[in-house]
Amino acid sequence: MAFLLRRLAFYLAAFIAAATINFFLPRVMPGDPIQIMFAGAGSDLSLENLNALKLTFGFIDAPLGEQYLAYLKSVFTGDLGRSIRFFPLPVTELLARALIWTVGLVGLATLVSFALGTLLGVMAAWRRGTLLDTVVSLSSIFSSSVPAVVVSLIVLFTFGYTLGWFPNGYAANPMLDPGWTWEYVSSVLYHGTLPMLTMVLVLTGGFAVTMRNNMINLLGEDYIVMGRAKGLADRRVMLWYAARNALLPTVSALAISLGAVLGGSLIIEVVFNYPGMGNTLYQAILARDYPVIQGELLIMTAAMLTANFIVDLSYVLLDPRLKKA
Amino acid sequence: MDLFSQLLRNRKALIGVTILLVVVLLAVFAPLLTDYLPTQRVGRPHQPPSGDHLLGTTRLGYDVFTRLLYGARVSLAVGFGAGLLITVIGTVLGIIAGYKGGVVDEVISFFTNMILVIPNLPLLLVLAAFIGQASPLVIAIILGFTSWAWGVRVTRSETMSIRQRDFVKSAEMLGESQWRIMAFEIFPNLISIVGINFIGSVIFAVISEATLEFLGLGDPNTVSWGIMLYNAQNSSALSVGAWWDILTPCIALATLGLGLALINFAIDEIANPRLRTGGMLLRWAGLIRRGEGTL
Repeated sequence: MAFLLRRLAFYLAAFIAAATINFFLPRVMPGDPIQIMFAGAGSDLSLENLNALKLTFGFIDAPLGEQYLAYLKSVFTGDLGRSIRFFPLPVTELLARALIWTVGLVGLATLVSFALGTLLGVMAAWRRGTLLDTVVSLSSIFSSSVPAVVVSLIVLFTFGYTLGWFPNGYAANPMLDPGWTWEYVSSVLYHGTLPMLTMVLVLTGGFAVTMRNNMINLLGEDYIVMGRAKGLADRRVMLWYAARNALLPTVSALAISLGAVLGGSLIIEVVFNYPGMGNTLYQAILARDYPVIQGELLIMTAAMLTANFIVDLSYVLLDPRLKKA
Repeated sequence: MDLFSQLLRNRKALIGVTILLVVVLLAVFAPLLTDYLPTQRVGRPHQPPSGDHLLGTTRLGYDVFTRLLYGARVSLAVGFGAGLLITVIGTVLGIIAGYKGGVVDEVISFFTNMILVIPNLPLLLVLAAFIGQASPLVIAIILGFTSWAWGVRVTRSETMSIRQRDFVKSAEMLGESQWRIMAFEIFPNLISIVGINFIGSVIFAVISEATLEFLGLGDPNTVSWGIMLYNAQNSSALSVGAWWDILTPCIALATLGLGLALINFAIDEIANPRLRTGGMLLRWAGLIRRGEGTL
């Protein structure tokens, strides 16, 4: 319990740090911060609306400390301001729409590549030095050194444009009404295939390398030798004796890689014009829609912290030693 | 040094170093290898590869091969510049935190862990968006100051184990100053970790620069691989089938990334014969993956 509380306090501090970056960035840039933040609005914004926006971002007639507190207050009450490009849509609402697509894409792709990578890693370690191991290791090096931009562009060019097997953008056929109809759901799956495939390609190598190395470090342990000496089936020793124990550090690697996963999905969404968080951030940057840009950093940080906390929880469940601490 | 002669005998290192050398030579001798300038219209738009234009032309009629050569200069400069900055900050903070312990360690570790849980690429995007049309130099500086956390973590834990060894204890008994112990007793024993951190950071910086520029946050007048990707994407090179325009920077980035990754792999094998199959590779994979905001 103390462990989880300490982690929670740390996450709170990290979130405040992200908010602090948001607060100070426009203020340390050369020029008028209000001008920087809201220039994109032009004359579309009434004075009243502009004042409300200024208040949200702490641009009040008060010393810096009070401005900071005013900003933190709006952040913690869930008020991230309104989008300038899609005024008067609140940033939270805009991002909530995008979040569903990203969570679906990232969640599914992470699960698939975690399972696939872990399995490949276990098998490569078990048959160390064989052809399988060489192929898995080499393709892992390759997949982890090629930028996500490059992988997505090549996948899009090959399967989207040249072969024409899959659509080149959007999360579903825009002519269809969203709903739980077979037509819509299959369209979502069809449009999601290429982004998913790309993400799995980008992620799997890292998981495979991690699992392979953990396994190899464990294979010399006495209880593995014991299991074999007892005459247990190979598969049983591999999965229940070695892989189970090698999984623990892999789970923590998963937590660390989540930030990278989010970044990878950002690029994939932009290339495949997928309407998730990453693409929304990209569109906001192009339109200099600063309230949305800042809201993105906060939501993505919050998502990352939540995921880290879930990993912490699973750690407590997986590792009995932490329960006592 | 021993490490270098061993590096030359390792096949992975040899391939990696060769790739890196070729890229460096192409970048250095760019003016001798092409008749054109990278920002000069020299042909009709989107011409396929031919004798006149080895890799075709872009939408604006620039020679793709020329831009590839000159772009390598920027990618290498940003990669190695930012990589050096990341490594120096990470190593110095890591050694100090690991050696001094106590409050100093707590403070450094707190900030390190905090940076690790704030998603890197979105943070970079927000920074770059406020700066606007960041030049390669600005990108390198931003990368350097936001991406050192991984290096601190790895260096710190290694320093903590070296600190317990006899030669450090005896240096302490002899009354050596703390700075001297950190610089001359501990640092030389970290050289392979620092090397892996450095190469990993270079890969990260090359990838991140290209990514930021691809997303339109760089200065569009720069000649770099990221801007080549950006221009190709914006001139719908994919939909008009100008594969040479988009695949050239893609393959260049993938090759450089692979070359550097092989070097890193080799350093790891040489430094840890026992771990020839694992261990540090894990950290190395993390270093790269952190990149893409990669992985």
